[in-house]
Amino acid sequence: MASSLTISGVDAGYGAIRVLNGVSLTVAPGQTVALLGTNGNGKSTLMKCVMGMVTPTAGSIVAEIDGSLHELVGLSTQAIVDLGIAFVPEGRRLFPKLSVTENLLLGAYRQSARVSIARNLAFCYEAFPRLSERRTQLAGSMSGGEQQMLALARALMSDPRILLIDEPSVGLAPLLVSRTIEKIKELKDTFNLTVLMAEQNFTQAIRIADAGYLIVHGEIVFEGTSAEALNDNEQIRKFYLGL
Amino acid sequence: MDFSFDLFGNAILSGLLLGGFYAAVTIGVAISFGMLDIVNIAHPAFIILGSYIAYTANSLLGMDPILASLIALPAFYLLGMGIYQIYHVSFERRGDEALRGLAFFFGLLFITEVALVLTFGVDYRLVEARYIGPSIHIGPIDLPLRLLVPFIVSLGLIGLLQVFLSRTFLGRAILAVAQDQEALRLMGADPIRIKRIAFGISIATASVAGAILIVIQPVEPSIARDYIGRIFAICVMGGLGSFPGMVVAALALGIVESLTSTFYGPSWTPAVGFGFLLLTLAVRPAGIFGR
Repeated sequence: MASSLTISGVDAGYGAIRVLNGVSLTVAPGQTVALLGTNGNGKSTLMKCVMGMVTPTAGSIVAEIDGSLHELVGLSTQAIVDLGIAFVPEGRRLFPKLSVTENLLLGAYRQSARVSIARNLAFCYEAFPRLSERRTQLAGSMSGGEQQMLALARALMSDPRILLIDEPSVGLAPLLVSRTIEKIKELKDTFNLTVLMAEQNFTQAIRIADAGYLIVHGEIVFEGTSAEALNDNEQIRKFYLGL
Repeated sequence: MDFSFDLFGNAILSGLLLGGFYAAVTIGVAISFGMLDIVNIAHPAFIILGSYIAYTANSLLGMDPILASLIALPAFYLLGMGIYQIYHVSFERRGDEALRGLAFFFGLLFITEVALVLTFGVDYRLVEARYIGPSIHIGPIDLPLRLLVPFIVSLGLIGLLQVFLSRTFLGRAILAVAQDQEALRLMGADPIRIKRIAFGISIATASVAGAILIVIQPVEPSIARDYIGRIFAICVMGGLGSFPGMVVAALALGIVESLTSTFYGPSWTPAVGFGFLLLTLAVRPAGIFGR
């Protein structure tokens, strides 16, 4: 059974600084939704709100997981991860002094992921042959592309229903960006995931997105339900591409 | 002094055994300082507390000191969790841990020491057990059981902890917690709980280390301070967070100290020991097995 995420009217910020203003967004079951916008517009803050790392001052965030509804606002990060929501944060946030395998095994810390740990580990090594070759290498000594792969694989080890990815393309060479994006699509299909992906790289993101939202100064200014709609839109051109 | 191979062999061997003991007293700090970034300079005081508990059980009940320390282990674990909770709420959470946290542990060191002085006095105390006294003789080599039993217990304890850290979910979370707490939260683990458990384990090892200490030598409350420098030196020399490195460093320091005191006299031991530390750090700044 696929899962979904519904964000409605979320306000959030840091101290006196308001970052998000009444943000509403829906990720329908089995969809990949791209959250588009340049730096400093609130993409990461919205992701952190979903993960319980930033507490919204207003609004609600509801996740439907395997048929039951959960209000995420007010839950701790651990509780949200336990529900089956995984997050690949910006900058990967790997454990640099632990090996590839140790990082992956930590990904399966959540109780309900432990039963399928052998299967998921085997799958990750199959999906990312590069990681398989480097099982004992320390995560901190790998290249940016390899680290991004490991961060994705580690998130998948928790057997999630909903996957949030913050800026998967940051710091990667163009060819790697395209590969990473394709990999996300492939994994989403294999694991039957619902994906929310924040991304600056518009052209890459909409290759795999079923829908997209453009966020500017903490407000959703455009909602596109298909790649064509996103491509055509005046506002996207104006705010985003600067055309 | 004339060089003799018997003397040399015996010095190496007793150095190894001494090193095993150093590893046992260092293991707690290898967890708290090496893995959690908590500079617990009060650790040696808890080791002495462990010695006195073993002494009390031994002199009143005739119990084996090492067995007594294993019985006291859960109490030490709870004590450690309690201390971490106070440290976390009062210092770590506010970002005050660097200097005030250090003062907190310094205070704990003296409070524990003074409490022991008031309870037991300043006389040296020792324990009795069947393995204190006899030696095994193999050719020219003497193996005093008083050193051999602690050596085995020490390596056994380290082996168990190493398996726990590398093979369990909790253990791996302990290895990860100092590297990135926020990322650990995203794995679904509570970093504060993980640190509390790890610090509990760190103090629990002081119970066993204390029993080993009083088996090896008579104990009085202030000898805790003699060990602070050595313990942190071994930790740094081995590479923070690495048990195998810590064991190698402890054995190396034991051998170096033993050779120095056999051939040049005991007063040179600290100088040579710390000279060895400086040399190691000059060649390998991250420590012997540092990652």
